[in-house]
Amino acid sequence: MHEFSIMTYLLEGVEAEARQRQARKVTAINLILGERAGIDDSLLFYFDELTPGTIAEGAKLNIRRTKMSFVCAACDAEYSPDPKRGDFACPRCGEVGQLTNDASDLLIESIEIAT
Amino acid sequence: MNVHNIKIVKNLLDANDQVAARNRQRFDDAGILVVNVIASPGAGKTSVITKTLQTLGDRAAVGVIEGDIAGSIDTEKVLSAGAADAVQINTGGNCHLEANMIEQALGDLELDRLNLLFIENVGNLICPNHWTLGEDIKLCLSSTAEGHDKPVKYPEIFTACDVIVLNKIDLAEMVDFERDFFYESVRALNSDVPIFEVSCRNGTGLEEWTDWLLTRMKET
Repeated sequence: MHEFSIMTYLLEGVEAEARQRQARKVTAINLILGERAGIDDSLLFYFDELTPGTIAEGAKLNIRRTKMSFVCAACDAEYSPDPKRGDFACPRCGEVGQLTNDASDLLIESIEIAT
Repeated sequence: MNVHNIKIVKNLLDANDQVAARNRQRFDDAGILVVNVIASPGAGKTSVITKTLQTLGDRAAVGVIEGDIAGSIDTEKVLSAGAADAVQINTGGNCHLEANMIEQALGDLELDRLNLLFIENVGNLICPNHWTLGEDIKLCLSSTAEGHDKPVKYPEIFTACDVIVLNKIDLAEMVDFERDFFYESVRALNSDVPIFEVSCRNGTGLEEWTDWLLTRMKET
């Protein structure tokens, strides 16, 4: 349910960036979201709800998801645990490795604006 | 019409981070150690805070900001447990506290009288992670009764936290809590985070946890 708050912050941030550059329209917003950041696709619903009448009306929302990754201390394998699995074990040797990316990203990577 | 691609690469919640930085400055100026308490509903947030207050006794003047969907019952509990000051924030359904809510609440707290402030976040292991409040310490409070798989299910908080308190340790056997699995998962995410096993019911571990807090307060 925090997707509503997140979308509100996103649009305020995007509007500020766009106005600073004298944009007439925002045509695309590119986000990087970690798969473990707990942000689901209801974000798209709020985007459609909240953008009409704003500078971002009609913009395309592109989301790139990053994956959680570990490196195995025993066999050196780099792996992303299956979120459906109940542990962080290495799929090759079964040892539990060390986190290298927690996939908690919540970033505005870039925006496309029309001037 | 010209279309430009503007590189930003900024936290989506940058506006919140800026308010959090202002809060942090006020806390630093007042010399207060601030702990953001994050846990699922029922882990024992209010119990850990009240037991910590009782264990600290007169060794610290403690304020509490209570974040809750509704009600003020927790504020009454912490005040009767010895909190020097307490303020309630009702989020009205919002699943987390935001930095501007804290900024507003600070108007009702006498910061100069305090040297420790607990911010009890809304019971939730996901949403509160994204909104920094200006805290020094993110406390992840977990309890044995919730199960040993919490770090696997909610890795973000176990990765981002500065300290873990594992409550209801007296129930560990009764609820088949697999300590090794819990520790192995936490260590995979956050290799050197301090972990305190406590029981608010029988007092186990509260002295050690409180001593750690006192050491951190001296550093503030």
